[in-house]
Amino acid sequence: MDLSPVLDGFGVVLEPTNLLYCLIGVVVGMLIGVLPGLGPAATIAILLPVTIGIEPVSSIIMLAGIFYGAQYGGTITSVLLRLPGEASSVVTVFDGHALARQGRAGTALGIAAIGSFIGGTVSIVALSLLAPLVAGFALDFGPPEYTALAMLGILLVSTVSSGHRLKALAAACIGLLLATVGRDGFTGAERFTFDNLSLADGLDFVPIAMGLFGLGEILYNLEERHRATQTPVTVANVWPSKADLRQSSGAIGRGSVLGFVLGILPGGGATLSSLAAYAWEKRRAKDPERFGKGAVEGVAAPETANNAAATSSFIPLLTLGIPANATMAVIFGALLIQGVSPGPQLVTQEPELFWGVVNSMYIGNILLLIMSIPLVGLFVKILRVRATVLAPITVLITLVGVYTVNNDVFDIVLVIVFGAVGYLMKKLGFDPGPLVLAFVLGSLLEDSLRRSLLIFDGDPTGFFTRPISGVLLATFVLVIVVPPVRAAIRRRRTHKELV
Amino acid sequence: MTRNNGVQRWVATGLALGLALTTTACGGNLGSGSDAGAEDFPGGDPITIYVGADPGGSTDLIARALADGAADDLGVAVTVENKPGANGTLAARELGGEKPNGHTLMVFNGSLAYITPLAVPEDEAVDIGDYEIITGVSQDDYVLVTAPSSGLATIDALKNAGRPITYGTTGVGTGSQLAQALLFGQAGVQATAVPFDGGAPTLTAVLGGQVDVGAIQLGEAVEQIEAGQLTPIVTFAEKRPSYLPDTPTVVEAGFDVAVQQSRAVFAPKGTPQPVLDRLRTSFQKVFGSDTYKKFNQDNQLTPNEIDGAQLRDQWSANLATYRKVAEQYGIDLGSEK
Repeated sequence: MDLSPVLDGFGVVLEPTNLLYCLIGVVVGMLIGVLPGLGPAATIAILLPVTIGIEPVSSIIMLAGIFYGAQYGGTITSVLLRLPGEASSVVTVFDGHALARQGRAGTALGIAAIGSFIGGTVSIVALSLLAPLVAGFALDFGPPEYTALAMLGILLVSTVSSGHRLKALAAACIGLLLATVGRDGFTGAERFTFDNLSLADGLDFVPIAMGLFGLGEILYNLEERHRATQTPVTVANVWPSKADLRQSSGAIGRGSVLGFVLGILPGGGATLSSLAAYAWEKRRAKDPERFGKGAVEGVAAPETANNAAATSSFIPLLTLGIPANATMAVIFGALLIQGVSPGPQLVTQEPELFWGVVNSMYIGNILLLIMSIPLVGLFVKILRVRATVLAPITVLITLVGVYTVNNDVFDIVLVIVFGAVGYLMKKLGFDPGPLVLAFVLGSLLEDSLRRSLLIFDGDPTGFFTRPISGVLLATFVLVIVVPPVRAAIRRRRTHKELV
Repeated sequence: MTRNNGVQRWVATGLALGLALTTTACGGNLGSGSDAGAEDFPGGDPITIYVGADPGGSTDLIARALADGAADDLGVAVTVENKPGANGTLAARELGGEKPNGHTLMVFNGSLAYITPLAVPEDEAVDIGDYEIITGVSQDDYVLVTAPSSGLATIDALKNAGRPITYGTTGVGTGSQLAQALLFGQAGVQATAVPFDGGAPTLTAVLGGQVDVGAIQLGEAVEQIEAGQLTPIVTFAEKRPSYLPDTPTVVEAGFDVAVQQSRAVFAPKGTPQPVLDRLRTSFQKVFGSDTYKKFNQDNQLTPNEIDGAQLRDQWSANLATYRKVAEQYGIDLGSEK
């Protein structure tokens, strides 16, 4: 591997302007992570118009900083106030807030910061090594491979997801249905457009994400706030004890790997990986009943995983041009604004941009570690701003922001509709995540499948004879078949023992 | 959004009526205000240029280059507003509903005027007769490319491939689709269209050998062509573009299917002639500047800086021709007519 572009990338990051943008991004990220209701996708979307005047490298460095900074910020409110500032910090609430009530808020925040740093760093190193390799394969990634990848993604979205399996599946189905809206890209036929030209290109992803995650969250939190335990928590002694570190080291290690892997998968990302990491720790713990009552691993695992995933989700975007999650889709938009089309050609054609952005994450993670602890007090003060003041402002910013993306009033209507849907879904215990991701993957799946069949002249065996799509489809089958088979074997074994 | 536009139009009509009444009632002739004064255009009010595509594409870049130059000349802010959707139909409809005072313009895509109508139902097609045209801007050529490993470097090689070939297009109802469908129709090549979502994915598919050939705008393919990663087969231009002097055109190859992307600046119907003239003068100054010439060069654009009337003739002729040939070779860009 030729290291000179990697080193040049460090040169790019260490330019004072880029350092400044990295710092701005990280601070803004932490801030919006603290504020419930305004996620990184919405914030980045709002900042899209601002990026037009900034150099491509600087603007993406800033937006990336917002993304992983938000993963940190979300933790603070989860721990201190039982208010997840970020979807990816929802599970941190269980043990994080329990720890805080035991007077160990500092420990929870310290463990989260250290875990995030390690998770992020492991992920960047892996990203630096893996991305050029993936890019090398990227030209072999044709429609059949994308078809298989999307199938696997949708399967994982609806099975790996948190919460009720059937509810996740139902949400994913609605997402798939919504993906069919718009003009058929192959025949030009109109589907579910109701003669409305704003629907001709299908539903736009950004207003859906901003509605479900942004507006829906704000509405839901308005209710939650009344119920949230606002007991003032003092933060002391942020450096976790050796015993805590020893106890969570395994969780941090597993969280790094799991977060990295789930971040790469389309449909994965920070939220899913935090949930999966928490579930994994709980399952493999000898005393799972400790979880939810202040287990250090219950903070370490999701916080490590969400940062690792935030970093690794750049891989599919920068190498294949597939946004793996909502925020990546918005960053995709930011790259397009800059006239950069992410895809297999990016690493070789824009090495400065690629390595500049990747390497900025090292610096950004160090900045986060340095800044998160002294800033905790400030963030807690920001949270004292009354919800009645904060909610209208964030709603307004969301609505103005979504308008600035496409300059279409219809998008504002969409945000409001999906905001209401998101609120109802949360109230009824549905996770909007599978809906949004199935929506993204649905159009990818349909387009790639139909493209493949055109290329194969209608012969579906082509999917299995191409090596990459064959392997992906085999994985798909394994994911479906293995769990029930294992369960059956286990059942027979216990049955035998009984007999 | 049709309904909302209707509402907006009603509101606008109401406002205009109210204004007219007030004016009459006062017995005054209020020559000032941005609505009336063609002489003192632009009169300090900003100008908005719509782009019916996402930021970052060729049309967007062109609009921004024009806006920068025109703002200096007109002495007012000229901003670009991206209103993507339905190949630009959405932006075009919105433009049609704006006040014809020269403060709202749009960089129109030629494909919207002469290719999309072949693919969409009639009531959705945009008719350039509903707009004023300020000036032509530039043309962008499509080039048919293949990966060097395909061994399909000439049209003859495509004819003799001995199997149906697959061709990547940048989407349904685009020049890329029409150009190739017409070429293969006339050449008698058995070929299947595989639509992709824009130029970059089409390029990647051709590079990776996912499809045999593809037609991409010159500016998007030139880097790979120069690097030897793509072989240009023909351009769909009338004359060889200066950026690709060694590649034959389809016309030279004996086919009657020149298809180009083209851009022009449009205004709502009823915009006063002096305002249109003032804007054209301003854009001509931009065309003459070195910065803009370099911009064209960098983006492989061929100037087509003709006046509004000529452009109208050019685009109308294109639509008539494409309609005729498409019918002749039984080419159907969309499923619904």
